[in-house]
Amino acid sequence: MSIVRWKPLIHQLPLVRNPSLSLREQPKRYIRCCPKNPSLSSLAGFVLGSKPDSDRNLRPIVEAKAAQSPPLSQETDLISSEQFTVNRIKKTYGKVSVKLERRCGYEARWMLEVSCDLVGKWILHWGVSYCDNQTEWDQPPPEMIPPGSTVIKDYAIESPLNARSEGQSESEVQIEIDGDTPIGAINFVLKEEETGRWYHNKGRDFRVPLRGSSEDEITLSMKQSVSIWPEAFDQISNMLRKHEESDPAPAPILEDNSDTSSKKPIIAFHEDYTVIKEEPVQNSMTVTVRKSDKSSDKNIVDVDTDIPGHVVLHWGVYMNESKNWHVPPPPYPPATKVLRKSALQTLLEKKSLGLGNRGSFALNKEVKGLVFVLKLDEYTWVNNMGKDFVVPIENSTSGNEEKIEEKPGTVSSTDKSVDTGAAPYTENLISGIRNLVDDISSHKNKAQKTNEEQDNILHEIEKLVVEAYRIFKNSSVVEKPDKSVDDTSTTPTQLVVSSGTGNGHEILCQGFNWESHKSGRWYHELGEKAKLLAELGFSIVWLPPPTESVSPEGYMPTDLYNLNSKYGNIEELKDIVHKFREVGIKVLGDVVLNHRCATSCSENGIWNIFGGRLNWDARAIVADDPHFQGKGNKSSGDNFHAAPNIDHSQEFVRTDIKEWLCYLRKEVGYDGWRLDFVRGFWGGYVKDYLEASQPYFAVGEYWDSLSYTYGEMDYNQNAHRQRIIDWINATNGTAGAFDVTTKGILHSVLERCEYWRLSDEKAKPPGVLGWWPSRAVTFIENHDTGSTQGHWRFPAGKEMQGYAYILTHPGTPSVFFDHVFCFQEEIRRLISLRLRKKIHCRSTVKILKAEKDVYAAEIDGKVAMKIGPGFYEPERGPKNWTVAAEGADYKVWEAS
Amino acid sequence: MEVSLSGPKVVVAKLKDSKVKRLGFSAPGFGYSGSNFVDLRRKCRVNWVGLKAIRAQVAVEKNNAPFRKEKVQSQTPVELLVGLPLDTVSKSNTINHEKAISAGLRALKLLGAYGVELPVFWAVVQPNSPHEFDWSAYLAVADMARCAGLRLRVSLNLNGCHRPNVMLPGWVLQAAETDPDILFKDKTGALHKDCLSFAVDELPVLQGRKPVEVFESLFRSFSSTFKDYFGSTITEITVSLGANGELRYPSFPPTTDSEFAGVGEFQCYDKYTLSQLKQAAESAGNPLWGLGGPHDASKYDESPNNSNFFKDQGGSWNTPYGDFFLSWYSQQLLNHGDRLLSIASNVFGDLPVQLSAKVPLLHHWHEMSSRPAELTAGFYNSAERDGYDAVTEMFAKYNCMMIIPGMDELGSNPESLLHQIKQACEKHGVQVSGENSALVKQGTDNFGKIKENVQAGLKAFTYQRMGADFFSPEHWPLFREFVRGMERSQLDADDLPEGNGGGVSLSADSEAGNNREMQAA
Repeated sequence: MSIVRWKPLIHQLPLVRNPSLSLREQPKRYIRCCPKNPSLSSLAGFVLGSKPDSDRNLRPIVEAKAAQSPPLSQETDLISSEQFTVNRIKKTYGKVSVKLERRCGYEARWMLEVSCDLVGKWILHWGVSYCDNQTEWDQPPPEMIPPGSTVIKDYAIESPLNARSEGQSESEVQIEIDGDTPIGAINFVLKEEETGRWYHNKGRDFRVPLRGSSEDEITLSMKQSVSIWPEAFDQISNMLRKHEESDPAPAPILEDNSDTSSKKPIIAFHEDYTVIKEEPVQNSMTVTVRKSDKSSDKNIVDVDTDIPGHVVLHWGVYMNESKNWHVPPPPYPPATKVLRKSALQTLLEKKSLGLGNRGSFALNKEVKGLVFVLKLDEYTWVNNMGKDFVVPIENSTSGNEEKIEEKPGTVSSTDKSVDTGAAPYTENLISGIRNLVDDISSHKNKAQKTNEEQDNILHEIEKLVVEAYRIFKNSSVVEKPDKSVDDTSTTPTQLVVSSGTGNGHEILCQGFNWESHKSGRWYHELGEKAKLLAELGFSIVWLPPPTESVSPEGYMPTDLYNLNSKYGNIEELKDIVHKFREVGIKVLGDVVLNHRCATSCSENGIWNIFGGRLNWDARAIVADDPHFQGKGNKSSGDNFHAAPNIDHSQEFVRTDIKEWLCYLRKEVGYDGWRLDFVRGFWGGYVKDYLEASQPYFAVGEYWDSLSYTYGEMDYNQNAHRQRIIDWINATNGTAGAFDVTTKGILHSVLERCEYWRLSDEKAKPPGVLGWWPSRAVTFIENHDTGSTQGHWRFPAGKEMQGYAYILTHPGTPSVFFDHVFCFQEEIRRLISLRLRKKIHCRSTVKILKAEKDVYAAEIDGKVAMKIGPGFYEPERGPKNWTVAAEGADYKVWEAS
Repeated sequence: MEVSLSGPKVVVAKLKDSKVKRLGFSAPGFGYSGSNFVDLRRKCRVNWVGLKAIRAQVAVEKNNAPFRKEKVQSQTPVELLVGLPLDTVSKSNTINHEKAISAGLRALKLLGAYGVELPVFWAVVQPNSPHEFDWSAYLAVADMARCAGLRLRVSLNLNGCHRPNVMLPGWVLQAAETDPDILFKDKTGALHKDCLSFAVDELPVLQGRKPVEVFESLFRSFSSTFKDYFGSTITEITVSLGANGELRYPSFPPTTDSEFAGVGEFQCYDKYTLSQLKQAAESAGNPLWGLGGPHDASKYDESPNNSNFFKDQGGSWNTPYGDFFLSWYSQQLLNHGDRLLSIASNVFGDLPVQLSAKVPLLHHWHEMSSRPAELTAGFYNSAERDGYDAVTEMFAKYNCMMIIPGMDELGSNPESLLHQIKQACEKHGVQVSGENSALVKQGTDNFGKIKENVQAGLKAFTYQRMGADFFSPEHWPLFREFVRGMERSQLDADDLPEGNGGGVSLSADSEAGNNREMQAA
């Protein structure tokens, strides 16, 4: 029986990261022999079924001195009683059974049955690999797909497991297989629907070989040659052996494909895997200190907990306030081991009915307190939110002086009430981290303060700060409704240059569309327009992704250091950057950091080996995208399914990316970045990258869907813009983000003539630009939404209304390449007005009208604008308004 | 529990202590009132990093060797505090932006801050009558600080504040409606609605009670309500001695606050102050001097160079009349300060807390011989006369620490004034801690200035103040680097030999448990 462990809790299992274990060591037969090879199983660090045996050796159990918590009559002897909350991980062992059998009564029909005996809603996430194809995840023929399944894009099926019978926890799913199918193997992972957790087979897919492939045989023969293959041959290895005998010389893989393997008959298969489901559980533990009724110089400590199973108390005592662990003088309670590290381990006695464990200890009066942690099994330790449990023992007989001495005890017990209180899980974690800081400072000179620990703390601090900032910012709006957020951020920092805002007066031009790669000399063509763009008033141009790429448009990068693309070669790139610089335009490079395409396959046919200067392998790929068999950690964001997603939590990956960005800054001369698909990874990493590469300006593409109800866009898009703002916050404001919210709302406004949508419930602009204008990069179209792709095209014919809005409003407006030329003169007028009136990314908006057919606003009191067919004219008053630009359903005035 | 890992550290703390002690005994001592605890506490300036300081303090408090006042000296690391938002508790006695503050506290703790400063307003605690107190929201904040493991300096503001708009309690303002002269009044008759006139301190003008009695009952109520927090969480109480929470007259225009950088005006035109002035003039034998303040002083915003009173050459400040008026005016301020400090030290003297009060850094116009901005605020300081000597003496008398804002102010004026005040403090053995005037902005060297001032020997430094701007991406990284920079620069002193190594006995196994938890994050 082999062991499968639920992955997410243990991001950094050594096995997963160990590069020395090659992929080919992983096929299923290996799993089978694991338990028989103790060294391997312990290497894996998995919790094994054999483990409780060692605990059993520790019996008999502690002699009980108090059967229950002390009864009331003894209260006078009671010195103290404390209750701790114990958070632990409850493990439930279950079995996943995979059976491939011939269907009764059919010669050529087979049935694959996957069942799981753990309670829960289980989903089989599966795909097939054909004999003649290296791909591991392909779509099966439709007749194989069980009813109730969902097809995930073109590579996987999700089939729910159904209860075997009413009221039973065991659930199963069956897949029917035709005996003649060209399918070589079925791969799957399990997902628990409620928690969304993935259950892998040791971090990899489960694999059911239908007939054994040549590749497996090579593995097998290799194993045999080094004779570690165990003697006990079961059905499967026998089968495999037979095959080997029938085909003794392993032919090269490529030759040994479809014509031979698909002819092999399907082989029955049965394998059980152990699954461990881990859930956080809260137990409690009461420690009571009382005077001994037998001996006057002893105190009795009773420990009582409702944690089930074996509980070993790993304990020591302290004699003074330094609380160093000491071993008390014997005698010890029964079932106690003395460990060399100044600690004792005592197995607690099980309470009747399995309701928990308890124990009691007699301690000398000199003992100032008890320190302990709990050991639940070989691999599971429980402490008090990162610290030891400490139970001070106060001796009531002691004099005044000693009372003062106990004062710190009260301090610490208040601390404890925080740590063990019913605080939410995250808060506990934070306090855990806080304790880590304590650890670090006390271990400072012991070289235990690793960078990683420090980084963790710094990350935690930054997260807290971002949270505090967000709430303060929002609540200050509530507090002072007369004073807008925009105001507060305007005054202090107008001329400050930050990569989130540039100089605050930037106007962006997207310097390409979806077709730009076609000519092969785009850099050259765009370079010729540099002067025009400068003259129109743009200050930043965004160039297409520069690297070698699988797709010609550049968004599927392969070798990051190869800067020859369909847009031109590296020399032409440097040239265009130089040209733009000459006319005073800064240049953004489009960098794709979320994913990267591999250049070659690993042995098992997965495209996860990267080429070029950054020759990463599966360790650089996130682990939760089943299709690329990443060996990294779980993704810190959403997955982009078409290519391997990069695991930014790996330090080597970050180092490489930082180095690359700095290279681009220096070698190419880019001034900043447009960051592709930043939904895919945590914004904190972006902050790292930006701090390392020091861009003049950076903007991220955080594009997800707005909220709709019955196909109609919701008026309130706060959740949507909050997600974007959360990302900006995570970058610590070092990057702006495209204001997708504003674009989405403009769609509804213009398509349905609902201009009232342009004012949110607080009479502010409803997009990101209403909440954090300085970080909002407003746009109405880009290469994805428009151009020849048209994934989300701006309402045709209304583009200028869109530009009249974004070019007069705060935020940093971005104009799409195609539009620069379609609407050149109109855009020129708007940009020139923006620059003339010094409208900037933090300008203030006063919304004057937001009605069915007209929206009007005044910006900084210097510019008035309206869009929509309805009527609006600025009031005649102290200001003299003159028309600055005008077009179809829009009009803009300036105050003179 | 916090101490469980700190074996070697405590040793360090003690080592350093003994050093401090030696320095301390060689310093000029002075009359000392208060309990042992107050003094013992003073020894815990072991670390800039509050985390460690707490442990050190625990150790130190037990080290019960009696200990006397030590000299303000420059080597010891400084306690870093951050001010909580002025509107932490709303006028309706609820906590504003609680979640943000709680996250902020944790971030500060992780960064290594020693504590936070909590501004308490009279109007919030006693909104309705002199007999009722409502500390609930402040208690909740104190609890948050305790949970975060941070120390608390509580500022008891007996005045109003323009931002946020907290005035005096409603019932006080009602009393002022019937008798406007209990408030400060300027030459034009405009009232300062955020400050009671010092002249009514001992007059039964508040529903038949004297302001000093009301303040005393407020202090007592605070002391009994927060009794569980003193020493462990609340380690310092700052008492406001005048306008804007500082020892000063409200010499700024009634519509603004102390950020006002003009000369200001003398505030002596309410009838109670006028009558005291009249008495003083009569006893000085010059009844005509008692009719009002100087007629030739400049207006709030006017340049003092054009005024007959303040001008450097032949200004009337430097005449017998000038001397009479300024002595009287500044003495009124001192008297008021003395009254309040005496009450405060009486009420809080037995608590294990430090008493402190704020003195403004009125550096504008400090280059003029007449120091006009200081004169109007009540400090009779000039080229020839040290106006801070008497002030500092008063602080020393009550063992009160002096808090000086403006540690971030650049330029020679702040520098020379600060030097003057600090010298006076040194002379009288008064401890100094600092504050900044405003958030430090990008691209300035104000953090550099703060660092310089802090290293020149402050007991503590409070950075003002938490809020949206404080945590903004423009500001926070600067602050973080400032703190970390300070920490690094003190590492040498901090990392003294750790004594007998291996005292840490957390087993490797339970550390593995820690890691596990980290991974789960």
